[in-house]
Amino acid sequence: MSLIRRQWTAKDADEWCREDWIAIVLSVLAYITLTVGSALSFLLLPTGFVILGVGILVTMLMYWVIDPKLRMISTEYEKKQKDYLQQLEDIQKWEEKQ
Amino acid sequence: MITFAFLDWLWLILFVALMVACGAIFYRLGKRSQSDFFLAGRGLPWWLPASSVYATHTATDTPIWVAGVVYKYGFAGLWYAFFAAWCAISAFVSTRIFRRSLAYSQAEWQSLRFGGLGAEMLRGWVAGWQVFMNMFILGWVGIAMGKLCSYLFGWDLWMGLVIFTSIGAVYVLMSGYWGVVMADFQQGVIALLVIFIVSIWGVLAAGGPDEIISKLKSYNSTCEWTVPTTIADSTQAKIRISDPESDKAYVVSTAPFIIRTGKSDDTAYRAVEIKTESQVKNSAPTTLAILFPGDGDVLYTDTDYTIVWTAGKTKKLVNIDVSYDNGMTWNAIDENHPDGQSWRINPFSFTGAFKGQFPVAWFVTMLIIALIGGFGMGTNIDWYSEAQRIQSAKTVRDASYSIWAGTALVLIRNSIWAAAIIGFFVLYPHLASSGEYEMAWYRVGFEYLPIGMVGFLFAGILAIHLSTVSTQLNLGAMYATRDFYHHYVNPRASESRLVNVGRISTFIILIGSFIFGTIIGEEITAWLIFALWIMAAGVWLPNILQVIWWRFNCWGYLSSWIANLGLSWLVVWILPQFGVIPELPDYMQFWLLIVLNALIYLPITFATKPENMDHLVKYYVMSRPIGFWGPVRKEAVKRGLI
Repeated sequence: MSLIRRQWTAKDADEWCREDWIAIVLSVLAYITLTVGSALSFLLLPTGFVILGVGILVTMLMYWVIDPKLRMISTEYEKKQKDYLQQLEDIQKWEEKQ
Repeated sequence: MITFAFLDWLWLILFVALMVACGAIFYRLGKRSQSDFFLAGRGLPWWLPASSVYATHTATDTPIWVAGVVYKYGFAGLWYAFFAAWCAISAFVSTRIFRRSLAYSQAEWQSLRFGGLGAEMLRGWVAGWQVFMNMFILGWVGIAMGKLCSYLFGWDLWMGLVIFTSIGAVYVLMSGYWGVVMADFQQGVIALLVIFIVSIWGVLAAGGPDEIISKLKSYNSTCEWTVPTTIADSTQAKIRISDPESDKAYVVSTAPFIIRTGKSDDTAYRAVEIKTESQVKNSAPTTLAILFPGDGDVLYTDTDYTIVWTAGKTKKLVNIDVSYDNGMTWNAIDENHPDGQSWRINPFSFTGAFKGQFPVAWFVTMLIIALIGGFGMGTNIDWYSEAQRIQSAKTVRDASYSIWAGTALVLIRNSIWAAAIIGFFVLYPHLASSGEYEMAWYRVGFEYLPIGMVGFLFAGILAIHLSTVSTQLNLGAMYATRDFYHHYVNPRASESRLVNVGRISTFIILIGSFIFGTIIGEEITAWLIFALWIMAAGVWLPNILQVIWWRFNCWGYLSSWIANLGLSWLVVWILPQFGVIPELPDYMQFWLLIVLNALIYLPITFATKPENMDHLVKYYVMSRPIGFWGPVRKEAVKRGLI
C-alpha cells in the first residue's frame, strides 16, 4: 500500500484520513514559507528565493496529495446536493409545512 | 495634500465607471432569485471566490495596519497579520464541512447543527450580531477612507466615508453578489498591480534592496518612547542601556535632559525629528553612547520620541530605562530590545520567551489561534464573509481551493507591503508617532510615484475600499433577508420579494454604517483591536467545539457568547481599572478569557440535554464533520445512512 492514496471510492473519500492530515500540515508549511519567502525575495535575499521555492513545492505537493480525494468528495456530493437543498428550503419555509 | 493631473482624473473616472457597469451588466442575473442575489447561484469556479476573498480582505485600513506593525517590529510584524492563516486548516476542514451543509449563512448553519428553541435563538442571535458587525466593519473601513481623503485632499472625514461607500452601494443594490464578485475580480487584479508597483517604487526610493540591507546594518539603535504624563514640569532625566541578564549598565546619559509638561510646538518637534534622523543614520561614533535625548534636549510629556544609541557595542538584546532622580531609581522603557536595525529583516527576531516586543509566547499563541482556529467556524471575524464565498463555489473542491488560494494571496500581499515598509524605514528611521509611520505605504505611493500614476494609485485604493464595502453590504443584507425576514417574518415570500428585501436591507445597512463611521471617528485602531481580538477570544474554543464535538449543545454555545460579552469588558477594562488584576498583554488576556468562559459554558453543556439524535444524524450524514462524533456516527451506520 502506498503512502499517499490516489484512487478513491466515494465511501472512503467521505472519511477523514491520513491524506487530510498530510494536506493540513503541508498547507500550514506552505503559508509560512510563502509569507517569509515573498518578503525576503522582494529584497532580493538569496534565502528568500530558497524559502519561496520550498513554499511553491510544498503547495504543489499539497495539491497532489489532496486533489484526488477532493474530486471524489465533490463528485459524490453533487449527486445528493439537490435533495439537501430541498431539506434546507423546507426548514426555511417552515410555515408551508403547517 | 495632492493635486491630480488630467491623467490622474482619467484613471479614476474610468475605474468608477467600470465598477458601476458591473452592477448594470449583472442586474438581470442578480434579480433572478435569493440564491443569485446572495450566492451568485452557487455556481462559481474556484478562482472567482478566491479573488473575492483576496479583494475583500484588502481594505483601506489594511496597509495602515500592516505598515504600523512592520515599521515597529520589522518582518516579525508579518506575524501580526498572519491571523488570515486560519484558512490553512479551514480550507480542508471547516470549509468542506460548511459547504456540505449548504447553509446560506453561519446563522442558518446554527439551525442545521443544533435543533429546537435553542437553535432558533442562536440563529437570531448570530444574524443580529452579524448585521451589527457588518455595519461596524463598514463604518471603520469607511472612516479609514475618510481619513485618507482628509490626508490627500483636505476633506472632512465624513466626505470620504459617504462618497466612496455609496459608489459601492450602487452596484450591490443593482446586482447583489453577482456584482460584488465580478467587481472583486477586477478590483483584486487592479489592487495587486498597484501594490506591486508602489512597493517596487518604495524599495527603489530607498536605494534598492542592497542599499536597504547595507543601511540597516549601519544605522544606530532606536527605541520608541512616549514620555509619561505623570512627570512634573522641568524634571531632569537620564537614560540607561543595560544588560538584561546581569542588569549591569552598558551606558548612562552623560548629562540630563529636561522634561516639560504641555505640548511641543510643531517647529520644535520637527527640529527634534531632524536631529534624531541624522543620529540614527550617522554611524560615526565608535564608542557606545546615548545619542538622543542628550544634554540640553527638551522633551514634552505625552509626546512620542525615538531614543537613539550607538549600535553594535552591546549584546544582542538590551534593557532601556529612564531615571527622574539622577540615577537613584530606574523605570523600564523597554525590556529585551534588539540592538541595531538588522533584526528588522529577520521574521523570527524573538526577544525572549515572555519579554520584549516579540516574545516566543506571543508567537506561539498567535500560531495556535490562527491555525487551530481553522477547525472551527467563526474563530476569525473573516469567517462570516468567507462562508458566503464558500457557498457560492460550484463544488466542495472549488470551495476549498478558493479559500486556500485567496488567503495565500493575502499573505503574499502582506509580504510585498512589508518589503516596501522596510524601504520606508530606511528613508525615515526616526518616526516615533504611530500616526505618522502607519501611513508609510500610502506616503511611498503619493510622494514617490510620478505624475499621472497618482490617479492610478488612487483608483487602486478605491478598488480595495469598494471590494470590502460591497462584500459587507451584501453580506449584512443576506443575514437580514435570509435569517430574519424570510425565516421569521415571511417564510412564504416569493423570490422577487426576497430580492427586493435584500435591496432595502442593503440600503439600511449603508445608512447604519455612516452612523457607526462617524462614532468611530479617529479611534480606528483601538476599536479594531477590541473587536477582532478580545470580543472573539472567549468564543474561540466554543466555535471549534460546535464543529468537532457532538455533545456540545446549543445552550453551551449560546451561554459562551453571552458570557464572553461580559467577561471581555471585565478582563480588558473594568478589573484592571479597579486594580483587581494588572493590565495584561493581549495574548494573556486571550488565554484568561478562554479559561474563564469555559468555566461557564462547560457546566451548562453537561447540565443540559444533548441535541436530538435524529437531528444530529441528519446533520452528520449531510456534513460529515471531523472530530468526536462517535455515538452519532454509530447511529447513522445503524440506520444504514452511511
